[in-house]
Amino acid sequence: MRHTFARRFALAASAGMLLSVWGFPVLWALLTSFKTERDVLAYPPKVVFEPTLAAYRDVLFGASSIVPNLVSSIILSLGATFLTLLVAVPAGYALARLELPTKRASGFYVLATQMLPPVGLIIPYYLVLQKVGLLDTYVGLIVIYLTFSLPFAIWLLVSYFEDIPREMEEAALLDRAGRFRTLWYVILPQVRGGIAVTTVFIFLNAWNEFLFAVVLGGNRVRPVTVAMFNFISVEQTRWASLAAGAMIAMGPVMLLGLIAQKHIVKGLTVGAVKGGGRR
Amino acid sequence: MLFAPALVLLVVTTSAPLVYLLWTSLMRIDLTMPFLSGFAGAANYVKMGSDPRFWNSLLLTLIYTTTTVVLQVVLGLSLALLVMQIPRGQTVLRVAAILPIVLAPVVVGLFWRTLLLSPDFGLVDLVSHALGFGSHAWLGDPQLALVSVIAIHTWQWTPFAFLVLLASLASLPPDVFEAARIDRANAWQRFRRITLPLLRPAIVIVVIMRTMIALSAFAAIFAATGGGPGTATEILNLYAYRTSFTEFNLGYGAALAVVLLAITLVISFLMFRMRRGR
Repeated sequence: MRHTFARRFALAASAGMLLSVWGFPVLWALLTSFKTERDVLAYPPKVVFEPTLAAYRDVLFGASSIVPNLVSSIILSLGATFLTLLVAVPAGYALARLELPTKRASGFYVLATQMLPPVGLIIPYYLVLQKVGLLDTYVGLIVIYLTFSLPFAIWLLVSYFEDIPREMEEAALLDRAGRFRTLWYVILPQVRGGIAVTTVFIFLNAWNEFLFAVVLGGNRVRPVTVAMFNFISVEQTRWASLAAGAMIAMGPVMLLGLIAQKHIVKGLTVGAVKGGGRR
Repeated sequence: MLFAPALVLLVVTTSAPLVYLLWTSLMRIDLTMPFLSGFAGAANYVKMGSDPRFWNSLLLTLIYTTTTVVLQVVLGLSLALLVMQIPRGQTVLRVAAILPIVLAPVVVGLFWRTLLLSPDFGLVDLVSHALGFGSHAWLGDPQLALVSVIAIHTWQWTPFAFLVLLASLASLPPDVFEAARIDRANAWQRFRRITLPLLRPAIVIVVIMRTMIALSAFAAIFAATGGGPGTATEILNLYAYRTSFTEFNLGYGAALAVVLLAITLVISFLMFRMRRGR
């Protein structure tokens, strides 16, 4: 009896540790965002303090407001998500239904494109976009975002499409529904969950993207991830503003993470668990 | 036919740039001295051989990738095994584990640089101080900086390994363990002989995916140290970036990127073969 009690206590304690290691830094940033710059630098750090929205006001309405950057992020992420789905859904379906040799080849190609380190691609992108005058434009950056979102989306969707029994679409085709109608009315409703997972992932990745945005963006296209550096300069770091900015910038993805928690875990594991059987 | 648009897009956005990258790596493109630009042949690659900064970055990439991946898998697996024992509250833990994953690496890097690691005010520094280890310039000291960026990556991505392995653990057939228990296999034997072999495919996939991500890691280090102090945390990615976009030597930067790509391809090829072999 004592043994199990000690064991349970140890388990609970370690679970608590875990929770704090992952959760506390974020909580700490949240606390910091409600402090004044003076309170931030108090030593020892103040846990009890008079909360203020000053940092949020500064971040939203101050000289270096991140509102335009939020708009940038929204346009980029929604654009990339929409475009990716538009192309990836048919592609995933086709790939799942292809004959084997072609499938293996194209599957490997999709996977290989996913492995390219972005740093390797950014130099050609930079040179090409510069030539065609698409540096610092939404069109340019959204197309570039496809490089990482498309392979991933296809890869994820294929595993969902493969779960649908072939008989279902054969029945629909016999009833003279065309390929596209079959896809739209019969197949798509079956993979709604898979599409939701994919959407969440593409959106997250696009929202969090930094390298492409910092090199290929500029004054017009400047998402929040790049704007975070507004609050850091050589002379000083505006801690509270940085924390408030980070909270606003990461609010959407954290919310999405909490709401779509199940989907995310599924998306992470589809690759890992199911991918094992496929190739 | 349905696959065609995707194929075209992938070719346009990935394969074509790749060819262009190879071409660029053979050129001399120095935006600070554009009049010198021109075909350079293998000059960029030859230059690498005697470039200590390149060898340094290669070594750092190796250290960074292996330590972060090993740490993630070992910690993630231990945590998953631990959490499996906990009857309630798994959901809360999963939610907490999601948090680092959804955060942008660049924000994570900035968080750590300011709120956690800055001397005197950072959380980690305060804890270290309280424990009697004293205050340190976590990102200012070359060796500590490397440890710090490894810690940052591990903090952010261990939840990935944890969640995936937890899900695979939960999907293992319980009767096998029951049978082993009846046969009086002890906990270690059960782990070594049953859990580990059954989890193997999932572990291998996690290792592959995390290795690829670690090899293309950029934003968190860029935000935390920018590759510094000096070149103490300048992995190949950062070196290629700095060469191309702060020194504007695109030709040499491209050559560095090609080396990185080659390494990534070789490693992934070996890993996939290893996986298929078993």
